[in-house]
Amino acid sequence: MPQEMSAETLKSTLTQRHRLEVEPERKINRTYYDSFDWRLLHAGGVLEAETVPEGIQISWQDLERGTRLGSAMLKDPPRFPTDFPAGDLRERLTASLEMRALLPMAGVESRVQTLRLLDEEEKTVLRIRLETNNCLSSEGGLKGPLTGRIRLLSVKGYAEPYASVHRLLKYELGLAPASEDLMVEAARSLGLQPGEYSSKLNFSFHPLMRSDSVAKKIQLRLLDTLEANIDGTKQDLDSEFLHDLRVATRRSRSALSQIKGVFAEADVEGFKEKLGWIGGITGPTRDMDVYLLAFEEYRDSLPESVRSDLDPLREYLLAHHRSEQTKLAAQLDSPRFQTIVREWRLFLEAPVPLQSEAPNAWRPVGELASERIYKSYKRVLKEGLAIGPDTPAEAYHELRKNCKKLRYLMEYFESLYPKRQIQRLIKALKVLLDNLGDFQDLEVQADKLRQFGREMLEEGTAPADTLLAMGMLVDGLFRRQQKAGEAFAQRFADFAEPEIRQAAKKLFAEPRKEVL
Amino acid sequence: MSIIGVYSLKGGVGKTTTAVNLAYLAAKEGNQTLVWDLDPQGAATYCFRIRPRLKGGSKRLLKGRKKDLDSLIKGTDFENLDLLPADFSFRNMDLMLDDAKKPKKQFLRLLMSLTREYDQVILDCPPSISLVSENVFRAADGLLIPTIPTALATRTLFQVRDFLKSKRYQHLKLMPFFSMVDEREPMHLDIMDRLPKRHADLLTKPVPYAAEAMSMGSARAPVADYAAQSPVSRAYEALWQDVKWRLSRR
Repeated sequence: MPQEMSAETLKSTLTQRHRLEVEPERKINRTYYDSFDWRLLHAGGVLEAETVPEGIQISWQDLERGTRLGSAMLKDPPRFPTDFPAGDLRERLTASLEMRALLPMAGVESRVQTLRLLDEEEKTVLRIRLETNNCLSSEGGLKGPLTGRIRLLSVKGYAEPYASVHRLLKYELGLAPASEDLMVEAARSLGLQPGEYSSKLNFSFHPLMRSDSVAKKIQLRLLDTLEANIDGTKQDLDSEFLHDLRVATRRSRSALSQIKGVFAEADVEGFKEKLGWIGGITGPTRDMDVYLLAFEEYRDSLPESVRSDLDPLREYLLAHHRSEQTKLAAQLDSPRFQTIVREWRLFLEAPVPLQSEAPNAWRPVGELASERIYKSYKRVLKEGLAIGPDTPAEAYHELRKNCKKLRYLMEYFESLYPKRQIQRLIKALKVLLDNLGDFQDLEVQADKLRQFGREMLEEGTAPADTLLAMGMLVDGLFRRQQKAGEAFAQRFADFAEPEIRQAAKKLFAEPRKEVL
Repeated sequence: MSIIGVYSLKGGVGKTTTAVNLAYLAAKEGNQTLVWDLDPQGAATYCFRIRPRLKGGSKRLLKGRKKDLDSLIKGTDFENLDLLPADFSFRNMDLMLDDAKKPKKQFLRLLMSLTREYDQVILDCPPSISLVSENVFRAADGLLIPTIPTALATRTLFQVRDFLKSKRYQHLKLMPFFSMVDEREPMHLDIMDRLPKRHADLLTKPVPYAAEAMSMGSARAPVADYAAQSPVSRAYEALWQDVKWRLSRR
């Protein structure tokens, strides 16, 4: 609604043609929820909460069509999909959000006046809502005005009044549809970039760029992700903050060692260990997250009659999660952590030197990337081919580590290669990695569960039934691990098939004419 | 989606008043609510100021294509509250149901196509035992039976209960309640005292007889809207809370 147009003008224009019932103006406060990485927005929806006398009215709408995706009345503000009553809405929210929490992203205070258009039976056939909107800060104070809006809320089965008022607004009053949703506008005015955060790497490099400058760009992006997740990790808003923080740290450390010879040794000396330290302090909390996230699946894998025997395990996990989380939050507040992050950023943001002693600093990144990837690829092939029926588990673990390094390298440099071809390779590698991941993680989980069992026994929190149920879980995990081991040969054969090898050779080992 | 039938074998017991007011209260709580006016008299339809006419009549409705069904639904004066209007052809619905493949499961099939759109469906049923009501018994999760505390009315309650003993209605939660109660009437008080002993599932919140409710036909709106503070509106509010609680338990 343009500023120069008053609600009165609009009302009088409408009154000339239609019978109107004007409802008293009311004030409403709306809060918009989404996950930190805007999953609902990416899925084309917006979740709005309005406090009403009966509780908190939640409405989930399709952004494009304005249709309703679901609604619910809650007693308290929602945090997770499990806060919603069981049913279709909860299932669909869970599918979109997975483990992510709903966070209040923006608040809007509106003065709303509803005009009801009546037919000859005095029946409402269209609602016209005039809204004056103000953005609310996270503390609830008024932050500043947003554009006023006119909303046409059609009444089902009465298309004509809607079309007629729509024509009037558009052609006679010259109003244009709002360019962005109120939630998006409010979030922007709070300094947020709706839809922006993603832990996915999305680089765009040119093969002739300097390798050291590309390496810095990669590292800076990873550091941005790491830092973006610190607050959420400290507050334990959901488990994904810590997960993203850890992945960014791991990728960063891997890039430091895999993109070799681009920085002067003296400059980056110590950072690998420092990043390793971050990996270390964040590990124990993540361990507990992993078991808590898998808990439902664990429980459901047992016969119904013994499922409740696992409750003490859940208590144990929750208690240890709490204590590990407290330690973690303190570490993230520590001068040591803050110094690492600050110094790392200082180094990464400094311009690349004109002269560098590092051998690969000036090399075109297209060349260095292919060299590094192909070397890593050959190593993976060699190690994989060497694995036979009697190979000890360590060899699988080593192979997994190197597969991860290869995957990260391909992901950093994805933009240097034809999209379809590199993605095909990444996909093939992912399938193999999933298998290796199962093989190792299932064993680790089984071992950890046994360790938890012993600790619970020492703490005196494990009744015999609980230990027996945990034993069944351990058994199930080992069986699955064995299956993963059996599937390895085929998975690896798929990855190492001649056609894929040819594709890799062509991408990474042959000079690319278009670059030269 | 939860489906509630409002049913009575006897006419004039406050059936439509109950359906309309509970639907209004459900919608006010933010539930997307649909009232299906199955009574060819179309009282609920009239209350919502909607013309009792369905394009194509019951024939088109029972064809049961989602698009057809959707195009027949009308929004009411109240947010979140829609109506599937009555049609005079509903008087012959039994014959048409009888022609269909699974004649007793037609409503269930139709309503299942609306699970995404509606949280609450309320069926205002005609007073009879017929294929229409059997369809309602099959589709609904709960059946509200308004009962005036008189000897004759309570007799029909036994008849309905008898009919619903069959295995195929075991999912159906019966919720009889006292309707149009006049506390100055000794017989009402007497029956209200004795009946709960024989019907353990009787809802505890009675709805009084009230002049405000009688004027729904001229106000053409739910009494809970135009006389929200009246005792009868409060009684419906209490009844609705009771119904929700009852349905939430397995």
